[in-house]
Amino acid sequence: MRSIDRLFERSSRSLARRTSRRSLLGTLGRLLTGAALLPLLPLDRSGRARAGEAAPGPDSPENCQYWKYCAIDGFLCACCGGTSSSCPPGTAVSPITWIGTCHNPADGRDYILSYNDCCGKTSCGNCECNRNEREKPMYRPSRNNDLNWCMANADSNYHCSVSVILGVAEK
Amino acid sequence: MRSASLGFAAALCLGFGAPACAAPPPLPAEHLTVERLPPRSPHWVYVFDEAFDNEIDARVHLFDGDSYRRLGQIDAGFTPSVNLSPDGATTVVATSYFARGSRGARTDVVEFTDNTTLANTGEIVLPPKRVETAPSLFNVAYSADGHFLYVAYLTPAASFGVLDPAHGKVLGEIDTAGCVLVIPSGPNRVSSICESGRLLTVTLDGEGKETSRGMSAPFFDADRDPVFVQGIQTASGFAFLSFLGEVHEVDFSGPQPAFAAPWPLVTAAERGKWRPGGQQVGAIHRGLGRLYVPMHQGGEGTHKDGGTEIWLFDLASHKRLARWPVRAAGLDPVIAVQVSQDAAPILFAATTQADVAVFDALSGRLRHLEKRLGQTPWLMLNP
Repeated sequence: MRSIDRLFERSSRSLARRTSRRSLLGTLGRLLTGAALLPLLPLDRSGRARAGEAAPGPDSPENCQYWKYCAIDGFLCACCGGTSSSCPPGTAVSPITWIGTCHNPADGRDYILSYNDCCGKTSCGNCECNRNEREKPMYRPSRNNDLNWCMANADSNYHCSVSVILGVAEK
Repeated sequence: MRSASLGFAAALCLGFGAPACAAPPPLPAEHLTVERLPPRSPHWVYVFDEAFDNEIDARVHLFDGDSYRRLGQIDAGFTPSVNLSPDGATTVVATSYFARGSRGARTDVVEFTDNTTLANTGEIVLPPKRVETAPSLFNVAYSADGHFLYVAYLTPAASFGVLDPAHGKVLGEIDTAGCVLVIPSGPNRVSSICESGRLLTVTLDGEGKETSRGMSAPFFDADRDPVFVQGIQTASGFAFLSFLGEVHEVDFSGPQPAFAAPWPLVTAAERGKWRPGGQQVGAIHRGLGRLYVPMHQGGEGTHKDGGTEIWLFDLASHKRLARWPVRAAGLDPVIAVQVSQDAAPILFAATTQADVAVFDALSGRLRHLEKRLGQTPWLMLNP
């Protein structure tokens, strides 16, 4: 019995050294979030998605299902050397943009987002993402994601798209 | 394999004697030529490929729906607009080039291709205002008599250019008060779609200058149920489908557009559940009065999803004649459709995986699936 006690004590101490309560909660949380989102995952919302693309979790800015991307159309800058709110090195920000409202499941709030394009290099070609929640045709340009929003840049070539939080949407 | 074949030939020589060992005659010398297109067929289709992964290199593939061969290519630059002349003899591409390939000074231009040779026959340089967006029939368009060419501008201020293709000139620019795109009608009218759901119609004189303009009553509600801008040519104008599946037929044959009462693609039970979607959301056989629409199941925000079925409607009775499930035929969701206008029509359907299916448009029988016709086939045109 003593040896069994020692065995469990050693393995428990080892587990405790390698983990923390926070990580346990985090893992459980991820599992729960993942379970909640699971029914959404098989839907191909892009209409142009590529088979076999790497699929980090939906809480990753490199995943098309990331909450900030609910009306984005293009290549995710987070997969092209930038982040969800920064352009890749050597590109230029589009000063004009389209606007979307997305729901953040983590805090239950709706946010107004600016979908800027990053310009001046040819298309990144990685992590294509096309989602269209509340998106409208180009007769309402401020809600349209088909337009090349690099159109007014000195160098109007399109590279990738970001999603920048402007603020909480007021009800 | 090659050594095995030679070994087999040597064994034949040993077994059958000298006559079997005689070397075959050498192949004749070849003369290098440039292929010439066969006579135009109603089963040809011009497949617009945005080449989205490397967007400065878009192109148009000419594909034959009978031989299932690519017949040739028209280069199309960056986020181009493409259309055919009313007589089908010319392809026009409005596009942008950068001085250093992917960067540098932007030049906007319309380029003309002779559809009997696929050779470039000329160009007109534009102000750098051309709309850079997903394709439709209304990004660049000819007047009905081919005398004028209209190019939609967006900077994001909206206007359009009036060009004289016969003399290679830009005649002028007309402000459209926030309304977008160029819907041509008659020899000298251009309509643009407004956020208010109205159509602005500008009438031109013989020199391409504005003589009058009129604003229609609203025919759709952009908040409640917007229409796709990808209109479909009808016998007397264009049909516009709404996100929820209403068909708005607009008669452009008179001085101002006239609107028929909208009719639904879906039953009351299907409304909001089944929808049209994709990049080219419908095709009409004008002689037979048949409408083909890629339909999918989905809610708000799925209007660019491809169709898992193609629904066939009779334009006169508004009745649904058939539902063709495309997944059963081995297809990915359909994002663009076009139908030939002859008496034995074929239906082209482009998929999310860039395959192009060729159907018998009368029976729905799949005749051929052309794999990977480019990267992103978003619009198909036929003469």
